[in-house]
Amino acid sequence: MKTAAYPLSAGGLTLTRPVGPVLDELGLAVPRGKISVVIGPNACGKSTLLRCLARLLRPDQGEVLLEGDPIDRQKPKQVARQLAILPQNSTVPEYLRVFDLVARGRTPWQSPLSQWSRADALAVERALALAGVEAYSLRPLSELSGGQRQRAFIAMILAQDAPILLLDEPTTFLDLPHQIELLDLVRKLNRESGKTVVMVLHDINLAARFADHVFALKDGKVNREGAPADVVTEATMRQIFALDCLVIPDPLHGCPHVIPR
Amino acid sequence: MTRPAAVTWRCGAFSGRVAPRTAVFTLLTLAVLVAVSGLALYSGHYPLTVAEMSAILFQRADETADIVIWYHRLPRLLVGIGAGAAFGVSGALIQDMLRNPLASPDVVGFSAGAATGALFTVMLTGSSFWVLPGAMAGGVLSAALVLLLAWNKGLSSARLVLIGLALSLFLMALVDIMMARLDLLTAADIMKWLVGAFPSPEWSDVALIFGALITLGPFALWQGFALKRMALGDDIATALGLNVSRVRLKILFLSVGLTACAVSVAGPLPFVAFAANPIARRLSAASGACNGSPLLGAAAVGACLTVMADLVCRSLPIGADLPTGIFTAMIGAPLLVWQLTLEIRKGAL
Ligand SMILES: Nc1ncnc2c1ncn2[C@@H]1O[C@H](COP(=O)(O)OP(=O)(O)O)[C@@H](O)[C@H]1O
Ligand SMILES: [Mg+2]
Repeated sequence: MKTAAYPLSAGGLTLTRPVGPVLDELGLAVPRGKISVVIGPNACGKSTLLRCLARLLRPDQGEVLLEGDPIDRQKPKQVARQLAILPQNSTVPEYLRVFDLVARGRTPWQSPLSQWSRADALAVERALALAGVEAYSLRPLSELSGGQRQRAFIAMILAQDAPILLLDEPTTFLDLPHQIELLDLVRKLNRESGKTVVMVLHDINLAARFADHVFALKDGKVNREGAPADVVTEATMRQIFALDCLVIPDPLHGCPHVIPR
Repeated sequence: MTRPAAVTWRCGAFSGRVAPRTAVFTLLTLAVLVAVSGLALYSGHYPLTVAEMSAILFQRADETADIVIWYHRLPRLLVGIGAGAAFGVSGALIQDMLRNPLASPDVVGFSAGAATGALFTVMLTGSSFWVLPGAMAGGVLSAALVLLLAWNKGLSSARLVLIGLALSLFLMALVDIMMARLDLLTAADIMKWLVGAFPSPEWSDVALIFGALITLGPFALWQGFALKRMALGDDIATALGLNVSRVRLKILFLSVGLTACAVSVAGPLPFVAFAANPIARRLSAASGACNGSPLLGAAAVGACLTVMADLVCRSLPIGADLPTGIFTAMIGAPLLVWQLTLEIRKGAL
């Protein structure tokens, strides 16, 4: 397979909602093998962007390229083998058990005649262990806390075994220790398995700590992008979030740390 | 233990997994079906001993008993099994696709559409050859109409049911107008068929319904794979690599096709399609678990319900001529009321 310069990129993305334009000729290129984090104020279109990138939403104009080819002209199954997305709010049947949900993640590798190969069984076991949901893998989703459910979903997309992961606010419903634990897992996946990650995080300090690359959205465009140290600055915070703040180096990790005034 | 109990099979590139409970349930339902079928062949106005019956079944003799079995009870039993299975699968397909237990072809007017279509073409052409094409056309048209009218950024249960009900009432009025031109005897027969009845089916009817099951059934089972994933919602189904709109279209056509075939041989039997899937699900716990197809269970339950209802209808001492549909309605209507109460309590209506 030929390798494109960027595993995932978009150009001219435009999408208008009743509230007005949400994406406005947005272009972006996701760096391969890095963790990219999308930041921006509430309702600025972060989820919309991620959904367009994963072909869950069709933009009014513009194009998304997966490995250099238009995503909507590739076979849905092939796309799903390369790109997994965790949407922001997913409603799935409550009676489903964690194990069954995670097993569904294998869909792009299965067919009606091959629904449980050895590879499927192994990938599901691995995903359950990685996401740390083994202890309650036989419980139905309806009996789980928000955080446990979130981890079950993470396990599902890990079972999907795609090299590109899109995560929309994966830390919602998690307490701080679990947020860190989850982001550590994302980093481990990135460093050890070379996964390309694009995630939306609303906590700027966590974004600065875990990102290799930051996209800051404003007015339907990528306003600033680059390494956290270049994007998470007092000037950018004021411009993007209208936030008056102090940015100091994090004493533990060296990344920028935002302290609102 | 992190794995649910399941029977796994692998053979070369093929593999699958079935929950023991699902397998046991399907086998049990089939056993019940065999038992009820035996009873249906055995009981009736013309008395037969078990020995006589098996003699007739396995070596044909030229007697009255032979005619009773081969030209009355057996075709009637087989049409009941076939139509029931087709209704069961058809209901499961639509209910699961729309994630709505109320959206079965008999509740939302597809069966009524198929029946009206069949009646209309037969009257227009005067030949019973056109029953099936008419039923197909009527089914597709009514499905398109109901979904079009009920669609409002998604399908809500309430809109779907009310619009289906309105369409059914409208079609009934249409049928009344058509029947005003008929003589009384034909009209009485047609009325019975419209409630859902198959008092004296031909072997061609048996061939039709089993032909439909053999041709459409495998496609339905194939779509069962996608159907299970559709339960996760459009976003996740798309993310997992399904072409959601295409799957929807295929499932809709399969469901309407099976309904139309069942309606052409047995009339629009009410509530079999509605009740089969929920009963199968509840008893087999196949809803989310494992990969055993819930469609097989729904088919088996649908066949059982229909044959049982037909048996009751035949065995009543008074009404030798009551249509089978009355008895499926007596089982199904309370279930519908119960389901509606559940939906109302959930706030879905
Ligand atoms: N399905 C929808 N219909 C109408 N408007 C929508 C829809 N989804 C999102 N929007 C609007 O689009 C804007 C961007 O939403 P979103 O991408 O979810 O923002 P966020 O950056 O918080 O993830 C918001 O103003 C929201 O109200
Ligand atoms: Mg969002």
